[in-house]
Amino acid sequence: MFRAEPLYRVQIMVLASEAQDMALELARFGVFSPARFEDQTLPENPADAYREAWLEAESRLAKLAERCGLTEPPEVPADAVPPSLTDLIGLNNWLGNVWSTCLSATESETRIQEELRHLDALEETLDKLARLDVDLAHLLRADGLLAVHIGSLPSAAVKRVTEALAMTGSLVSLFDHVGDQTYAVIAGPRERDAEVRGVLAQAGWRELPVPVELRTHPDAARAWLAQMRREVEARSGAECAAIDALRAQFRPRLEGARLSLILARPLAEAALVGVRGRGGLACLTGWIPRRQLEALRSALDARFHGRYWLQTAEPARHEASKVPSLVRHPAWLRPFAPLVKAYGVPRYGEFDPTLPFAFTYLLLFGAMFGDIGHGGVILLLAVALRRFLGRFVWVGVSAGAVSMLFGLLYGSVFGYEDLFEPVWLSPLHHPTHVLTLAVTFGVGFISLTLLINARNRLVAGQGAHALFDSGGLAGLVFYLGAVAGLASLAGALDLATPAWSVAAIGLVTVVVYKWAESHAGLGERILVTLIEALETGINLFANTLSFMRVAAFSLNHVALALAVFTLAQGLSFAGHWITIVLGNVVIIVLEGAIVAIQALRLMYYEGFSRFYSGDGREFVPLRLVGAK
Amino acid sequence: MSAYLNTRVSLFSGRLWHAEDYDALMQVADEDIGDALNRRGLPQLARGFDNRDPLSLEQRIIAEVLDETRVLLRPLHGAERAFLIYWTERFEVTNLKTLLRGKMTGERPAALLARLTPMGAFGRLDAQTLAHAEDVVELLRRLEAGPYAGIVRQARRAFEDSRDPFMLDAALDRHYYEGLVRRAQPLEDALGAPMRKLMGALIDRINLVWLLRYRFNYNLPPAQVYFLLVASRYALPSAMLRELAALGSFDAVLGALPAPMRARLADTTDIAALFARMDGSAAELAGRILRSGAPPLARAFAYLLLRERDLRAVRAILRGRHLGLPADDIRLAIAHDPGGNA
Repeated sequence: MFRAEPLYRVQIMVLASEAQDMALELARFGVFSPARFEDQTLPENPADAYREAWLEAESRLAKLAERCGLTEPPEVPADAVPPSLTDLIGLNNWLGNVWSTCLSATESETRIQEELRHLDALEETLDKLARLDVDLAHLLRADGLLAVHIGSLPSAAVKRVTEALAMTGSLVSLFDHVGDQTYAVIAGPRERDAEVRGVLAQAGWRELPVPVELRTHPDAARAWLAQMRREVEARSGAECAAIDALRAQFRPRLEGARLSLILARPLAEAALVGVRGRGGLACLTGWIPRRQLEALRSALDARFHGRYWLQTAEPARHEASKVPSLVRHPAWLRPFAPLVKAYGVPRYGEFDPTLPFAFTYLLLFGAMFGDIGHGGVILLLAVALRRFLGRFVWVGVSAGAVSMLFGLLYGSVFGYEDLFEPVWLSPLHHPTHVLTLAVTFGVGFISLTLLINARNRLVAGQGAHALFDSGGLAGLVFYLGAVAGLASLAGALDLATPAWSVAAIGLVTVVVYKWAESHAGLGERILVTLIEALETGINLFANTLSFMRVAAFSLNHVALALAVFTLAQGLSFAGHWITIVLGNVVIIVLEGAIVAIQALRLMYYEGFSRFYSGDGREFVPLRLVGAK
Repeated sequence: MSAYLNTRVSLFSGRLWHAEDYDALMQVADEDIGDALNRRGLPQLARGFDNRDPLSLEQRIIAEVLDETRVLLRPLHGAERAFLIYWTERFEVTNLKTLLRGKMTGERPAALLARLTPMGAFGRLDAQTLAHAEDVVELLRRLEAGPYAGIVRQARRAFEDSRDPFMLDAALDRHYYEGLVRRAQPLEDALGAPMRKLMGALIDRINLVWLLRYRFNYNLPPAQVYFLLVASRYALPSAMLRELAALGSFDAVLGALPAPMRARLADTTDIAALFARMDGSAAELAGRILRSGAPPLARAFAYLLLRERDLRAVRAILRGRHLGLPADDIRLAIAHDPGGNA
C-alpha cells in the first residue's frame, strides 16, 4: 500500500501468426503493461500492419455504429479468438464497402434534403422573379446574344464576383437574399460566357434551373414546384427505406465485426508501444507484477502449450524513471488516490503517500472546520449528491464525519459554542494552546516528510543525499535540534545546549555536503553553499509556521459564526433565523471550500514537495475494452 | 509585456542566419550537421537529422517555427494574439490540402497521417477522424462541420462538378490570405507603417506571383485570375490587379506595375526570379523593422518572416547535400526558392 508493486520486465516471444492471440490472452489476464525496450536484434515491426488495419476498421465501425444504433456492448465468449491479419484486412475491406454503401445512401439523402431546401428557396424567390420586370422567357433564350444566369452565390463573394465579372462585360443584378446566399441575375455577352462560368464555378455559384413553367404563369410555376417537391419527397422516402434496409441487412454482421475488433484491440494497442520481431517471430514487451508471473505462465501454458518463450528481468536501478508504478489501494482508500495523482504518479520504488495523505488531509480539514452541524451537512450533501460525486462521495462523507468529530471535541454545533461542554477544548477560549498544537503538528509533519525523503533517496541509490543533504537525515537533525533549541528559549524545554549542538552538527553536515556537491569556482562555491544552507533553515521554519493556519482557520470558523450571531441578534424572530440559516450556508460553502483548498495546499506544498517526485508512469495494462 | 516581447524578439533575432552561415552549413562534415544546427538554434532539426526523410524535415522545420511562435505569443492578447495564431494556421491549411489530395488518390490513413504536420496546441482539425474519412466526399462533409466550413461549403459544389483539386487549393489559399488581411487591418491602424509595410510586401508578392502563374502558366482568363487573387489595399490594390490581369504578357504586366516596384523588378524574366527579387526586398524591409524601434508585434512578425526564410534556405541546403548537389547549385536554389504558396 505504501509503494508500487515490484515488477518484472518481460519479453514474450511468440509466432507472429499468434501475436494477436498472445495479446488477447495478456489483455484477459489484465496485468501486462506494454512498453518499448530497444533491442537491435529485433528490427521488424510485425504488428504495424495489424494496427493500421484495426484503426481503419475501428473508425469505420464507429461511424457505422452511429448510423445503425449499435449501443449495447457485446459479450465476449471465453473461447473467442481474435482475427488474424488476413481476417482483419478482410473485415476492414467489408466494413469499407458497407460504409461506402451507407455513405452513398446518406449522401443521397443529404442531397435530397438540399434539393428540398432549394425548392423552398425557389418558391420564396418566385414572387421576386415576378418582380424582376423582365420577360424571362425572352431573356433566357438559348440563342440570344446575351448569356444569362440566374442563381445564388455566397453573400461574402458578391463583391468580388461583381468586380471580376465586370471584366467580362457582364452585369450582376441582385434580387434576393436568403440566409448566407444571395440570389442574382448575371447577364453578359455570350462569347465570354466560358469566362463567366469559370469565375462562377470558383465562387460557389448555384444555378437556378428556371423551367419553362416558371417563366410563364405564376400558377403554373407553383404547380411545377409542387410536382417537383412530390418527386423529391418520394425519392427521399425511397432513400430512407433503402437506409433502413441496409441497417437491417448489415446489423447482425456488424455485431460480429464489433466483437472481432474488441478481440483485435489488444495487439493493436500493444503495437502502438512497439511489438518488435524478426522473421516469423513477434516479441511483446512490457511489465507485469512479480507476484503474478507464475499465474501468467500457467495461463499462457494452458493457452499456448509451450509455443512461446518468456524471459523476465528485474528492472535496473537506473531504469526507475521508465518503470510504471502499480499501486494497489484498498477500496476505502481509492477515492483519495486521484487527489494524490493530481500532484503526480509515484515513481517506481518511491513511497506512495496516499494513506498518510488521506489521514492527514482529513485531520487538517476536521481541525480547521470542526463543527457537528456543518460537518453533518457536508456528510448529508455528499450522500445526496452521490450520483454526481461518484467515488468521491467517500471523501465528502469522511470529511463531514471528521468535521463532526472535531465539532464534538470543540463543543460546536452550527457555530453555537454553549450547547454542550467541549469534550476537548474550545479554540476560541484557548487560542495559544491551539496555535502551539498546530505548530507542533507541523514539526511532526515536516519531520515525517524528511524521513520519507531520506527513505526515497536511499531506495533510489542516493545514499549520500539521504544522509547528508538538507532534505535528508542531516536536515532532520538540524531541524529537530533547532526546534528543541527554540522551545528551550521559549521555556518549554530545558535542553538549550544539547539542542543547539545537535542543530549545529546537522547544519555543518549539510554545509559540508553542499560544498562537496558544488562544482563551481571558489567564490561561486562559497556563495552557493551559504545560500543553500540559509535556505535550508528558512524553508524548514517558514513551512513549520505555515501550519499556524490550521489554528487560524479553526479560530476563524468560530469568529465567522460569532459574526453571524451578532448580525442576527438585533433582528426580529424571522430575521434572526433567516440570518442564522443564511450565515451558516455561507460558512459551509465559502469557508468549507477555503478550508478544503488550504488542507490540500498544506499537503502538496509543505508535504509532497519535500519528498514526492510524482514523476512516475502509471501502470496501464492491456485490457479488453468495449465488452460487457 | 511589450518589454518582454521586445526583449524576446531581440534575443531570437540573434538566431537569424547570414550568408556565411549558409556557406558554413554547406561545408560542415555530415556527422557534425546535428551539432551545427543545434549551435544555430535549430534543436528540432538537429534532433531528427539522422532521419533524412525530406518530409520529416519539413515537419521539423514547422515544429521549430511553431515553438518560437508559442514563445512570442505568451505576452500577447486580443487582436495581436489572434493575428499571430492565425499566421500559424497556414500550416494547417497545408494539412487540409494534404488530406484532400490524399483522399483523392485513395492514400491509406496511416500514410496520410504521417504526412500531416503536427500542429500541437495550434491545431483545429481532427486529423485522425478526417484521415479516416472514406473518400473526398465524406471528408468535405466532415470539414463542413468544422472550422473551415465556410470555405469548404463554397468550394465543394465547384469541386464536385470539376473534381479539380486546383479549385479547392486556390479557394483555400485565397480564403486564408484574405483572413490574414482582415485580421491585420486593425493592427495596421494601431501599429502604423511598420505593420502595413510588412503586410504590403507579403500580400503584393503573393498577388503578383499568383497573377502571373494563373495567367501565363495556367492560362486562366483575366476575370477568373482576378477572382482568385487576395483583395488588397497595398501597392497593388484591387483596381490595379484588374488591369494587370487583363494584360497579355509577363513583360506587359511588369511594365504596368507602379514605378518603385517596376524599378525593383527590372530585368526579371520569369516568375521564380521575380519571387526571389520580391522576397529579397521583403526580407530587407523585415530586417530594417526588426532592428528598428517599431512596435513589438511588428518586430515579432518581421522576425517570423525572416526566420521562415532562413529555414527554407536551411531546408534547401540539407536537401541539396542529401542529393549530393554542388554548393553552387544549392546557392542558386536558395536564391530562387519559390517558397510555399507564393
